[in-house]
Amino acid sequence: MTSDAAPTAFITGAASGIGAACAALLRGHGWHTAGVDLNPSDTDLVVLVDVTDRTGVAAAADAAVREFGQIDLAVSAAGYYEEGIDVAEITRAQWDRMLAVILGGTIHAAAAVLPHMLRRGQGAIVAISSELALAGSATDLHYVAAKGAVLGFVKSLALEVAETGIRVNAVAPGPTDTPLLARDSLWRKPEYLATLPLGRLVTPGEVAHAVHYLAVEGSMYCGEVLSPNAGAVI
Amino acid sequence: MPGQPGPVALVTGAAQGLGQATALRLAAEGYRVAVNDITDDGRLSELAARTGGMAVPADISDPSAGPAMVAEIAGWAGPVAVLVANAAAMAMSPFLDAEPDDWWHQIDVNLSGHFRLIQAVIPGMRVAGHGRIVIIASGWGVIGHPNATAYAASKAGLIALTKGLGRELGPQGILANAIAPSYIDTEQLRVDAEDAGLSLEEMRQQYRDLIPVRRLASAADIAGAVAFLAGPGGNAVIGQVLQPNGGVTRTRA
Repeated sequence: MTSDAAPTAFITGAASGIGAACAALLRGHGWHTAGVDLNPSDTDLVVLVDVTDRTGVAAAADAAVREFGQIDLAVSAAGYYEEGIDVAEITRAQWDRMLAVILGGTIHAAAAVLPHMLRRGQGAIVAISSELALAGSATDLHYVAAKGAVLGFVKSLALEVAETGIRVNAVAPGPTDTPLLARDSLWRKPEYLATLPLGRLVTPGEVAHAVHYLAVEGSMYCGEVLSPNAGAVI
Repeated sequence: MPGQPGPVALVTGAAQGLGQATALRLAAEGYRVAVNDITDDGRLSELAARTGGMAVPADISDPSAGPAMVAEIAGWAGPVAVLVANAAAMAMSPFLDAEPDDWWHQIDVNLSGHFRLIQAVIPGMRVAGHGRIVIIASGWGVIGHPNATAYAASKAGLIALTKGLGRELGPQGILANAIAPSYIDTEQLRVDAEDAGLSLEEMRQQYRDLIPVRRLASAADIAGAVAFLAGPGGNAVIGQVLQPNGGVTRTRA
């Protein structure tokens, strides 16, 4: 693959965890990467922007197109996690921020890349959701609600663009070994891990594999949820 | 084969269509592939010759077929590391007209045949501490289909089998998952067209109209899903149902 013909990925949350693993795997496969994050990412084009800033995210996508000519894949991985909060104790500010980053960030990323993808009639959008959105979870309800909303968004946008060559899907990982999981997180406890058929956390690289598969061989997936979740939700 | 001998895969229903495409894909990725179908009319042995693999024709609804095949493959190349359960029988008819024999034939091949075959491959996977079982279900097993109740029920049974196996065998390193395709551009289309009294292109168009992405899957699309689940991408995928069916299972009536 010559560098001119290399496909380009636009990745939010690219500086750490799943987003960083996606960037690393895709670069290893010869892709150009544009990384949107609050922090510098190990990508070919680094854009420091908050995904709640719609204009900023759109400008980042435009910059990626100027730099690389096109966007073949958008990965919405920006997010954060808060656990151990009873629903009655979740503050309005916590709700708003969680929805703004996870749902808003996904919408902003999709809206930013869609005009470019529609022009070419092809592309893939992969939103990172969570297995918690498939089964529900206590004490992190604002996170779960936001990740669940992402699934509704993905399924609907997928149908809206189904007759183009643009594919929109979600990857819903199980508990993944990233900095989002605090050292004392419930999901890191041996008693919890022992309940998983796989018996361990998912690695960020395993999630990146699912994203890469959808990007290169996912032309028949339309609004689907691929869940590398260690057997947490079957 | 040159270099390191690869892991062994067994693909049922490999004489044509997506079974054949899957065998070719896995062979290209370095697997040694044993290919099964109910008989070898020349296509199986030709496929085996093309891929450096082995033809193991057998009727999987025969209870002795699974153990015999697995033993034969073990003698050739070792224990089966990846089983692709693809063979299927299908008979369409309105539910009330369905013959009990047709019902049982579809259950015997699609569901019970693979139940026995999976039992036959598990001991070898246990010894290895690793194995992948990829079950080809169907979008109709997810959402049902008129005039295909037995087929859909057998495929829904395979989905439940997949989930149970995922939970039961996952802790042993044996990962079971299913794929639920829908309309695929294979030789079967010609049969469907003849049954419907349509030309092949008319049949394709009729199916396209049912698919949100307005495109039939190719056999290679489904083979790609198998390769994903069999490879490193499948390391944390357990008991899932992949649905590369163009959104057929996303549609509402």
